[in-house]
Amino acid sequence: MRPTGVYFENFAAEARVLETRRARLWLVALCILLVALPMLAGPWLLGQLTYAFITLIAVYGLFVTVGMAGQINIAQSAFVGVGAFSAAKLSGLGVPFWLVIPAAALITGAVSVLFALPAARVRGFYLALTTLAAQVMFPIVILALPMSWLGGLVGMPVVSPDLFGLSLGGPRGFYWLALAFAAAATWCAFNLPRSRLGRAMRAVHDNDTAASVMGIPVTRIKIEAFFVGALFAGVAGALTAYFLQFVTVSSFTLFASVWYLGMLIVGGIHSPLGPILGVAFITLIQEGLHAISNALLQSGSNIGGGAVFALSSILLALCILIALIFEPRGLAHLWQTAKTTFRLWPFPRN
Amino acid sequence: MTPANGSILEARDLCLRFGAVEALRSVSLAVQAGSIHALIGPNGAGKSSLLNCLSGFYRPWSGAVLFQDEDISTARPPMRSTLGIGRTFQGIQTYPSMTARDNILTGFHSRMSGGVFAALFRTPALIRQEEAFTARAEEIIAFLELEQDRHRVVGDMSYGLRKRVDLGRALATDPKILIMDEPMAGMSPEEKGDLARFILDIRDHFGIPVVLVEHDMDVVMDISDRVTVLEFGEVIAEGPPERIADDERVITAYLGAAEVAV
Ligand SMILES: Nc1ncnc2c1ncn2[C@@H]1O[C@H](COP(=O)(O)OP(=O)(O)OP(=O)(O)O)[C@@H](O)[C@H]1O
Ligand SMILES: [Mg+2]
Repeated sequence: MRPTGVYFENFAAEARVLETRRARLWLVALCILLVALPMLAGPWLLGQLTYAFITLIAVYGLFVTVGMAGQINIAQSAFVGVGAFSAAKLSGLGVPFWLVIPAAALITGAVSVLFALPAARVRGFYLALTTLAAQVMFPIVILALPMSWLGGLVGMPVVSPDLFGLSLGGPRGFYWLALAFAAAATWCAFNLPRSRLGRAMRAVHDNDTAASVMGIPVTRIKIEAFFVGALFAGVAGALTAYFLQFVTVSSFTLFASVWYLGMLIVGGIHSPLGPILGVAFITLIQEGLHAISNALLQSGSNIGGGAVFALSSILLALCILIALIFEPRGLAHLWQTAKTTFRLWPFPRN
Repeated sequence: MTPANGSILEARDLCLRFGAVEALRSVSLAVQAGSIHALIGPNGAGKSSLLNCLSGFYRPWSGAVLFQDEDISTARPPMRSTLGIGRTFQGIQTYPSMTARDNILTGFHSRMSGGVFAALFRTPALIRQEEAFTARAEEIIAFLELEQDRHRVVGDMSYGLRKRVDLGRALATDPKILIMDEPMAGMSPEEKGDLARFILDIRDHFGIPVVLVEHDMDVVMDISDRVTVLEFGEVIAEGPPERIADDERVITAYLGAAEVAV
């Protein structure tokens, strides 16, 4: 619901994401804060935020495949891995950074199409299994290839990026870089639902039988949903490679794929706002757990890292369950409801 | 094959079986340009099956479907939609998570352009196209009197409104003929009246002929120009509504003895 007094004079204005002047001002303020943050925050916080930005890009990819088109994908982490290894290999071959990122995205997209070709023909449970196969195959393939290709079990080092001689290797430079890509990904994710392709994905998600009769090429749209989701994963992977300056298969596990899905579900799978809220929420929980476990360790308790790992898994499962039972539309919907309630107060909603 | 005889969509000797069930036995049907053609018959008579053969959703075992005198028997549903055969569905088949206007906009899919790049980066070409097609969607919204509901999510709407959105989406495909399967089933008398008015307007203002399945005989008698009666997969009568209402076989087969007595 909009506040009163907001009206539009043409369809382009109506299609804007930020409808009010106040919303636009808030966005500008948020951008200034995020850009200025390296002046205020230490390297630890910057590192955490950088990692959250990269995660956000990967979760946007899932938003497209799972949220928009309704194609379950439990291999997003493998696709991020494809992006990371592509970036490592290309940068090792001396390809400049600004070319590596789009190239890694396209390579990941191409690999995803390979899987989407059979996957677009099956639904639900079988689709889940097909994407699970992609996740399982990823380390097997990398390890089976000759060491000199993708580093095998050892992995590959990645040189830190520089843009036209300007080094982006430090925590500050890389923070800005990740922020820029996360901002671009956010823009893309908010654009997609307002386009022909985005509406076709939604149609396939809601009712693919009706969609096919109404002239929407369903199989093609499903493949494009995987492709676009993998483009995001590829960018996230390439950034991960540069960020860690090293890639190994063990960084891209089924476990990470499930975390990505959890973030999407908790945030809300139907709104591009969902990934932002989900990543923020889950990251905060993870960090909270780390802080608690560190405090426990320091106080001399003998809880190990294994327990923390198990505890965080249980908490994630709980978050997903609570979201699915009480608010399947996620935090994004809670946020919308809260805004509407506030605007209508003291009158009830509906 | 045959000279044009004013029929826009024609079914010739369609046969269709599901296992042992013969849903259609050599059914022929010709829809005249500019007319409302009603299809009636008891449950399981094969009405939906016939419509599904016309829209390409079922493939008949034998027989042919002709659209504007061209054989389209092998064309698949998206192709037929592009050719100009629009349809609405039995029951609710709209996209529940999308708004009314987005539902209607999906009907423009095959006439819009732009792929992944345009969608992600919202190119100027895409913005222009969105504006043009939004304006056209608004024309349909105005015609169907959906202005109040254009931004409502269809899943939250009443049955009658959803059927109207379904109709809007079909109109967006720019049909040369419209196929409607039981558009009024489950509607209140007011909603039926509204929809009947829209169907007449579709014929008169847009010049689009309509084939529809309907159980409410009052509606059929009021709005249709021609009626075909199916029973057990066979055409048992065909003609203008007045004649059908008096046809002995139709009265016994479909309207039932009870209604004759009234
Ligand atoms: N997909 C299908 N699979 C198996 N049998 C089918 C299928 N579709 C229709 N039938 C059968 O074909 C016959 C004709 O069905 P159809 O749906 O065309 O009837 P109808 O006239 O539309 O009936 P209603 O008024 O109930 O909608 C029925 O006996 C039905 O059981
Ligand atoms: Mg039927």
